[in-house]
Amino acid sequence: MALFAASAQQEAVAAPIQHRFDPYEDNGGTILSIAGADFSVIAGDTRQSQGYNIQTRYARKVWQLTDKVVLATNGFAADGANFVKKVKQRLEWYENAHQKQMSIKSIARMIQTMLYAKRFFPYYVYNILGGIEEDGTGAVYSFDPVGSYEREACRAAGAAQSLIQPFLDNQIYFRNQTFPADQPKPIPGNLPLGTVLGLVIDSFTSATERHIEVGDGLEMYVVMAKGRAVDDLTSKGALPEGVVVEELGPLGEGGGERTFLVRRTLKRD
Amino acid sequence: MFLTRSEYDRGVNTFSPEGRLFQVEYAMEAIKLGSTTVGICTPKGVVLGVEKRVQSPLLESSSIEKIMEIDRHLGCAMSGLTADARTMIDHARVTSQMHAFTYDEQIGVESCTQAVCDLALRFGESVDDDDALMSRPFGVALLIAGHDERGPQLYHTDPSGTFVRYDAKAIGSGSDAAQQSLQDAYHKQMTLAEAYTLTLKTLKQVMEEKLDENNVQLAQVTADGGFEILNEAELKAAIESLPAERVVV
Amino acid sequence: MAATGVAPNNIGFDFSNYARNEFLGARLGAQAKTTSTGTTIVGLKYGGGDSGDEEGICLGADTRATGGPIVADKNCEKIHYLTPHIRCCGAGTAADTEYVTNLISSNLELHSLSQGRQVRVVTAMTMLKQYLYRYQGHVGAYLVVGGVDSTGPQLFTVHAHGSTDKLPYVTMGSGSLAAMAVFESAYKEHLTKAEAIALVARAIRAGVFNDLGSGSNVDVSVITKAGTETLRNYETPNERGIKSRDYKFRRGTTAWLKENVRDLVVSEEVKVTMGAGKAQQGTTDRPVAVGAGPGGEEGMDLDA
Repeated sequence: MALFAASAQQEAVAAPIQHRFDPYEDNGGTILSIAGADFSVIAGDTRQSQGYNIQTRYARKVWQLTDKVVLATNGFAADGANFVKKVKQRLEWYENAHQKQMSIKSIARMIQTMLYAKRFFPYYVYNILGGIEEDGTGAVYSFDPVGSYEREACRAAGAAQSLIQPFLDNQIYFRNQTFPADQPKPIPGNLPLGTVLGLVIDSFTSATERHIEVGDGLEMYVVMAKGRAVDDLTSKGALPEGVVVEELGPLGEGGGERTFLVRRTLKRD
Repeated sequence: MFLTRSEYDRGVNTFSPEGRLFQVEYAMEAIKLGSTTVGICTPKGVVLGVEKRVQSPLLESSSIEKIMEIDRHLGCAMSGLTADARTMIDHARVTSQMHAFTYDEQIGVESCTQAVCDLALRFGESVDDDDALMSRPFGVALLIAGHDERGPQLYHTDPSGTFVRYDAKAIGSGSDAAQQSLQDAYHKQMTLAEAYTLTLKTLKQVMEEKLDENNVQLAQVTADGGFEILNEAELKAAIESLPAERVVV
Repeated sequence: MAATGVAPNNIGFDFSNYARNEFLGARLGAQAKTTSTGTTIVGLKYGGGDSGDEEGICLGADTRATGGPIVADKNCEKIHYLTPHIRCCGAGTAADTEYVTNLISSNLELHSLSQGRQVRVVTAMTMLKQYLYRYQGHVGAYLVVGGVDSTGPQLFTVHAHGSTDKLPYVTMGSGSLAAMAVFESAYKEHLTKAEAIALVARAIRAGVFNDLGSGSNVDVSVITKAGTETLRNYETPNERGIKSRDYKFRRGTTAWLKENVRDLVVSEEVKVTMGAGKAQQGTTDRPVAVGAGPGGEEGMDLDA
C-alpha cells in the first residue's frame, strides 16, 4: 500500500509541458506482392483511413512505374504519394540520361538511396516493388522506411501485415508443412498465376474480416514476362466471379512485358 | 602574336564576330602537340594504343601513364595536356562509382562520356559562388573505350565538350596520317589480334623512334575481362607478331 | 477471520496489482489492452400521437467488438438485458458494459422483488450513474438505457463519468456521429413501429459502414408496454464471403518429434457392499473402453 501511495503522489506532480512536432499519420491499408516464375502480382486495398474515419474508399496505393515494374506504398499516404512522385521523376531523368527504362534491380537500389537520404526525417512509408527482372523472372523487393531492402518471393506490409505474412509464409514458403519423402518441398516463387491470385484475394478478404482498416476495394497489378501466354488471366472463367481485368498499355516503347490491372470489391464495413 | 590575333582571343567565353571561341579552338590545337593515340572498336572489344615519348634515356618509361582505368568496364587513352585529363578521369571515376552505388549497375559508356563532357565547358568568368569554375578549357582529348549492354564502344571527346562515337579513331600529333591508315585498314569484323596489329602498325607509321615495348602502351576492354592494360610480355608478343618490316626507300 | 489477499467484506474492485501493473507498463512500454466495443448504439422513442401505434422504445446496435484495430468479435451482443421491459445498449470497454449491466440487472431484480412491482427505467438509470460516478470514469461504460414502465416509454444515455441525458432520440459510441446524422435528418415524433425500426436500422448501418469501430450486423430491440421484442441480427449486410481456395492440408503435413499414446480412461473395480450402489436387478455391468488411444478398443477410427 505504501508503494501505491508513493506512486500516486508522484503522479500528482505537474510534468513540464512538452511541445513537439508530430507530422506523421497512419492511413491504414495493406499491400502485398507475390512473385511467380515469369510474372509478379502486386496488390493493395483502396481504403484510406484516419483513426476510425474513412477518408476515402478509393485511394491508389499501387503504381505502375515502367513497362515491367510496379510499386506499392503503404503507411503515411501523403509521404507515399510524394515519394512515388519523386521516384517517377527520377525514372524520367534516368530515361533521358541513359536512353533506356530503369531495370527493377536499379529501381530497387535507387529507392534505397532515396529512402536513406532521409534517414533522420524518414518517409513514413513501407514500399514493395514488384515486376520482371532482366532475366525474365518475377521479382519482389521489399523495403523498410529508411531503405533496408531485400529480394523475396513474397511480402505483405501495412496494417494487416501481421495477419497476412504468416499465411504467406505457410502458403508460399511452405513453412510448417512437411512433404512426403518422395515429394520434395517445392521451391518458393513458382506457383501458377491462378493459385497466386487466389491467395492474394483470400489474403485480402480475410484481412478485411478481421482488420478494421482494410476493405472497400482491391487492386492487383499483374506483370507478365515477355512472351508469356496470358490466357490464364484473360480467358473466360480464368478468374473468380466479380473480378474485372484490364490491360494497361506500355508506358515506354514496350519491351514485350504486359501489365494487367485486376480489380474486385471488398467489404465496406 | 599581336598581329594576327584579335581581341577575341582573351575572353574565354567571348565569341568572335565569325562565331568562334578562339580559346577553345586553341585548346584543340594543344592536342595536336600530344603524342599519337589510337583506338579501335571490334565486335570482341575495344583496343587502345598510345605512343609514349621517352624524351631521355634516364626517364623511367613505365611512369608515363597515358591509358587509365575509369571503371572495370571503362578505359581511357589521352592526348594533349595529360595533366588536365586527371581532372576529367577523376570525374568519370566518381560518376561511374556513383552510378553503380545508386543504380546497382555499371554506367553506360555513352553516359560516362557525357558526364566527362559536361565538365568541358565549365570555364570562364565565375558567376555568383560557382567555385567549381576553371580558368581555361581543357587541353586534352580522350578516347573512351568501354563495354556495356549495347556492346563494345569507342568515344572521342575534345575540349569543346563534343563527343562522337567511332569505329576507329586517332588523335594527337600524328592523327591525320594515322586516321587515314585506320580508315584504309579497318573492317567491322576485326579480331582483337587484328586490332592490336593495326594499332601498332598505325603508331609505328607515325612514330619517329623505332617502336618497342618501352615506347608504346596497349590496353583492351572486353566483355569478360573488362579493362586491361597489356603487360610487358603481352605487349612484346603483340609487337613481335607484326608482319616483317618492308624496306621503305 | 484471518486476513487474506482480499478482505472478504471489502466489496468492489481489488487494486492490489495496481502498482505492479504501472511498473510493468512503464518497463515494457505497454498497457494491458482491453476489448472495446468501438460501437454504434442508438435509441429512439416512437408511437403515440396519430401514428396509430402504441408508444415504445426502439434500440439498435452493431455487432463488432475490437481490440485496437483488430476485430475481436464479428457478432457480439451489445443490447443487454436489465429487466423484462428495460434494455441497455453498451459502448466502451466490453468487460465494463457487460459487468455493469449484469450487476445492475441483478440489483434491479432484487429491487423489484423487495418493492413488489416492476422497476422504473429511471431507477435503472440512477443505479447505473451512481455506480459509474463512484469509479470516476475508470469503468468505461457508455450506455443507452431504454424501456417502458408505469410512466410510459423512457430513454436515457449514461456516460462513464456518471452524467445522464433524457432525450427522444440518442446515439452513442464511436459511430454516434454517423448515426446521429441519420437521426437529425429523418427523426420525427410519433413514428410508426415499422418506421422506427427502419430508422434505427438505417442509423446503425450509417455507423457500420462509415465508422471503422463499428461493423457486421444490426441488432434491434423494440420495447412496448407488452414486453420486449428482440430482433437479433435484424440485418446482416456483411456476410462473410467464400474463400477462393481450399486450405485443406494433406494428412501428415504437421511434423512431430515423438508419439506417445496414453490411456486416459482408467478402469477400476469397485465393490459395492451396501446402499443404493449395490448390484441391482435388471442391470448388467459393462466394461469401460481401456484400449490404446482415444476410444480404445471400441475402435474409434482416427482416420475417419
